[in-house]
Amino acid sequence: MVVSCPDLHGPDPDPVSARLLEQVIAVVIAFCPKVEVVEPGICAFGARGPARYFGGEMALAARIIAAVADLGVESRAGVADGLFAALLAARAASPAAAAPARKESVGPRVPSYVRCAPPTPQGALADSSNAIMVVPPGGTAQFLAAQPVSVLADQDLAGLLKRLGLGALGDFAALPARDVASRFGDAGECAHRLARGLDPRPLAARPPPADLSVAREFGPPEARAEPVVFAAKALAEQLHAGLAARGLTCVRVQIRATWADGRESSRLWRHDGLLSAAGVADRVRWQLDGCRPPPGDADAEQHPQGGVAALRLAPDLLVRAAGQQLALWGETVVSDRVARAAMRVQAMLGHEAVLRPVLGGGRDFAGQVTPVPFGEKKEPRLAADQPWPGRVIGPAPGVVYPAAREAEVTDDAGEIVTVSGRCAVSAAPARLAVPGEPPRRVTGWAGPWPLAERWWDPAAARRRARFQLATDDGRAWLAVVQDGRWLIEAGYW
Amino acid sequence: MPVGEPGPSRVPELPGVSGSGTLPVLPVLRELLPRGGLARGSVLAVAEFGLLCLALVAAASADGAWCGIAGIPEAGVLAAAGLGLDAGRTLLVPEPGPAWPQVVASLLDGCEIVLLRPPARASAQVRQRLEATVRRGRGVLLVAGDWPGAQVRLRVVTQRWTGLGDGHGRLRACCAEVVADGRGEAAMTRTRWLWLPAENGGVAVADPRDLPADFPFDVPAADLPFTRAASALRAVSAG
Repeated sequence: MVVSCPDLHGPDPDPVSARLLEQVIAVVIAFCPKVEVVEPGICAFGARGPARYFGGEMALAARIIAAVADLGVESRAGVADGLFAALLAARAASPAAAAPARKESVGPRVPSYVRCAPPTPQGALADSSNAIMVVPPGGTAQFLAAQPVSVLADQDLAGLLKRLGLGALGDFAALPARDVASRFGDAGECAHRLARGLDPRPLAARPPPADLSVAREFGPPEARAEPVVFAAKALAEQLHAGLAARGLTCVRVQIRATWADGRESSRLWRHDGLLSAAGVADRVRWQLDGCRPPPGDADAEQHPQGGVAALRLAPDLLVRAAGQQLALWGETVVSDRVARAAMRVQAMLGHEAVLRPVLGGGRDFAGQVTPVPFGEKKEPRLAADQPWPGRVIGPAPGVVYPAAREAEVTDDAGEIVTVSGRCAVSAAPARLAVPGEPPRRVTGWAGPWPLAERWWDPAAARRRARFQLATDDGRAWLAVVQDGRWLIEAGYW
Repeated sequence: MPVGEPGPSRVPELPGVSGSGTLPVLPVLRELLPRGGLARGSVLAVAEFGLLCLALVAAASADGAWCGIAGIPEAGVLAAAGLGLDAGRTLLVPEPGPAWPQVVASLLDGCEIVLLRPPARASAQVRQRLEATVRRGRGVLLVAGDWPGAQVRLRVVTQRWTGLGDGHGRLRACCAEVVADGRGEAAMTRTRWLWLPAENGGVAVADPRDLPADFPFDVPAADLPFTRAASALRAVSAG
């Protein structure tokens, strides 16, 4: 069964919704202990056991939705044989359909093999029953067959299938698995299994030979989140290394934090072998955020659990690692000594504070260097092996401002120098004034060199005219006129 | 070569590069530094951040040393790479924040050379602690700014760009007068004229005859012998 909260769904929940999310998960756990958080706002669990206890899937789902509604969160539930189908069922279940006026219009759209809840007389349940969709056992393949291929997460593949005339998942599922694998590769095979109502990857047959979980104890218990999240990153790397050494990857990872007073917070997060160590650390942060008191509280610093005493990451559902081949040739070898130093600074200032520059291409001096956080994959933003017409040639400046500085360039009469649409300069630049520094006399200049970039993308489009200015103190400047304003992009000294 | 060959004849070929005591610098900068390189365990100060700072760290980085750059978000890595810096062995900490002494101490544990512009004025206590860290780690701290305890102080006294006209041309090379002084063995003031950068992006020795004809020689250091020779030569060529 999948419970989805559309309002809380998002790639990066803020602390408020993270806390709400944690409460929602706590409510769901009251019904069934083994809950998997697929992504923020969506959780899933095996429904067979609890459904029997609560008197059927409908009743169970209705109770959960009512309990979640008590928190002021709207939710939907979907039940099917597999996670993918249950997700789609939860998406198809529309709480808006609860309004009687829209009931009829929704009716014909629901296929006959999907059992919709009959309206129940009890008030709370009646309101929630339209937010539930149950696909009966064995009906998953049929339910999926009618879905459009666009529900597949891989939009490239979906677009390709549509162009091939395969509009519905049923058409795709009807293709022989072997042909799909040879034509679309690993990703296509995975999607094909989904379309047939199977799990995306066959489970590895044998149980893991060793305990692959990793743990770290904090003594004294760590009250701040940052050090715990940082330790989680190292733990995740250790976990990934252990899995990779055995040629395995995990579908889910369990994060269990133990507080000083003995209480535990344990969650399953979707992994699929795709999460980086930083991604796992993010989930630890969300999980810890959810357990903390709101920042407005007077005793926010002194939270009741007394700090994290232990953190444990355990892989769940091991499968063979099939894809995600990493580069065969490594980058510059980072010695342990440097890595330790860099990670200690990261622990102090945050992951993004220690950068490694990667040289690439581009027309701006600032854009030709891509700073990459230490420990992440190094790739320049713009390819270096392209010609980049319009870049400034000659020696590179020693000072490149990450954000261009405001400046004023005036002519002999004290008027701001302007550049017309046809690249005519109003007068020769005579003075350069940079805020916070004494004004300088311009002794030589060249330009304007026009540069119109990315006109096809309104958000990134820029039209600039560049100048090189030499000033009486012996320095030289790379200045641009953009939207009638003068900016200093770089300094030559 | 016989095993017993006495060493002295080989010494000039390896000035300052011998891994133990110093980190290498670009050949044209050797004469500015008392030991022909960056002495391990020492602090050097450059008056202001600029190409000179990047040129001083470039050769060590090319030689295999890791280089940390702290507190300088506008460091021109591209220009430094042109001088020889290996970007793959560079760590940038643009905003070290209020705890910058600890950050720099951590960087010094991992990097042989750290280029730092302190975000705030360093107290004497902080300076001494960092100097002790530098000595212990056998690294080099290069400060862009004021650092009273620095063994060597360098500054660009005069500089002048060539290639730019009145509405035409482009920047080609910069002729700079670099002065080094300091304490102890560095107490003697050394002055060199350099192309910083030269037209190929590197650093080269500037011949006084190559200087731009309108070079301002009325600089404070005008009584230095080298500068006098330059103006004399110019007078000869003009005559």
